[in-house]
Amino acid sequence: MVSKSEPIHRRRRGAGIVAMLAIMFGVVSYCVAADAIEVQLDTKEAKPRAVEALTERVILRDYRFAWRNMAQAFESNSLDALQGSFAGDASQWLRESILSQQRSGLSQRYTRQNHKLETVFYAPEGDVLELHDTAEYQLQFLDGGKIVGDQHVVQHFVVLMTPGADHWVIRQLQAVPQF
Amino acid sequence: MPRLISICALLCLLGVSPAQDVRAPQNLTAGEEGSVSTTGSGNATFYLFGPGVSDKQDVNLGEDVRLPGSDLQNAGQYFAVLCSGDCRSTSFFVSAARPSSLTFLVHPSRVPVAQNDAVSGVAILFDKFRNLELTAESVDFQLNAGKASLLSRAVPEKDGIAWFRAASGKSAGALQVTASLNDLETLRAVQQVASEPCNLRITGQRNASGILVQTEPVHDCTGNPVPDGTIVTFTATEDGKKSTVDAPIKQDIARAQIAASGPAVISAASGVVMGNELRLGGH
Repeated sequence: MVSKSEPIHRRRRGAGIVAMLAIMFGVVSYCVAADAIEVQLDTKEAKPRAVEALTERVILRDYRFAWRNMAQAFESNSLDALQGSFAGDASQWLRESILSQQRSGLSQRYTRQNHKLETVFYAPEGDVLELHDTAEYQLQFLDGGKIVGDQHVVQHFVVLMTPGADHWVIRQLQAVPQF
Repeated sequence: MPRLISICALLCLLGVSPAQDVRAPQNLTAGEEGSVSTTGSGNATFYLFGPGVSDKQDVNLGEDVRLPGSDLQNAGQYFAVLCSGDCRSTSFFVSAARPSSLTFLVHPSRVPVAQNDAVSGVAILFDKFRNLELTAESVDFQLNAGKASLLSRAVPEKDGIAWFRAASGKSAGALQVTASLNDLETLRAVQQVASEPCNLRITGQRNASGILVQTEPVHDCTGNPVPDGTIVTFTATEDGKKSTVDAPIKQDIARAQIAASGPAVISAASGVVMGNELRLGGH
């Protein structure tokens, strides 16, 4: 009896695991799609140095990565989520923000991000890049999980990026009323 | 109109106050104290979200909420949220304080003399809280080699950045590069070194071991001695066979001993520069 029922039981358990994985995959895919970060980069106005094609691709990748990390850090109140995407002054105020959130039990949620980046300065030696970012996103403020603010935000950022060992880091991320 | 007034009066009599609201301050500067005004009556929770701060506090509606300067040190956009039942929010900007530091990146650290667009510098302006200073001020760039001024230019900053590019000077030695704004000044030094050798000339004479060849003092085209250690390659052609000897410059002169007994043609080169040819007969 037992020996006959075992394969059926195993098959059922296997099917259950597959179904669970499929659901998890679906949920993960949905979350990734919901939090997909759109970034467009225009380098036509870069001066005095033209942005190389490879650099352009890397900037796009690293800027998107930085905002994803920042959003995760603000939502989970975890400093680890910043993962080296920020350095210097930007890193410092981000850390202060997250520590401040941890103390007060607050968090922020960035979703539906869309960034229109424009390179406005690329240093002659390629060691500093300044960008204008017109960012649009849905921003929620949470107090212990309760939403106390939820708004569609359009922000203008002046951004300084510098090359690190194998990626570009954001050193300055400063919101301004307009460019 | 009289009906509207009477409705308001009725609401007030019933103890129903108008919904709370929050008003943002205008034109705040980093590090300076500000306040957010509220309307309504009763208690509420006030939230402040901004760069470097996420804070909440209980407040009395109808009173101003004081924002200490320590909460407003980072330039950027801040969001003020006021909740009493429902929540109202507003936002405001804090701009950078006056410039107090000047980050100055200069390239390269060593540069050959008399090269066009060889030296560049980027100045980035910050206030005392390390906010990017975005007001359009002019940064003065000066390049001095000894007592000679190579460049003096006022460049208006754009988005916190001013930059220059310039030719290197004609003499080897230290090039002082200065960026200044009002009472701020940052100094960098670039070492100017001799450029490629110019008019490379060699002389030679036979001795017991073959031919001893040497250069005349090696200078670049503006008369700077080429640094010790620069390699000069001597090439000897004897009976159609070529041999080469590399020799470093020591005290302006490079020397080499070439083993050749028959008639030989000797030439010299350093980098992309060719010297004269020397023809010596055999023993």
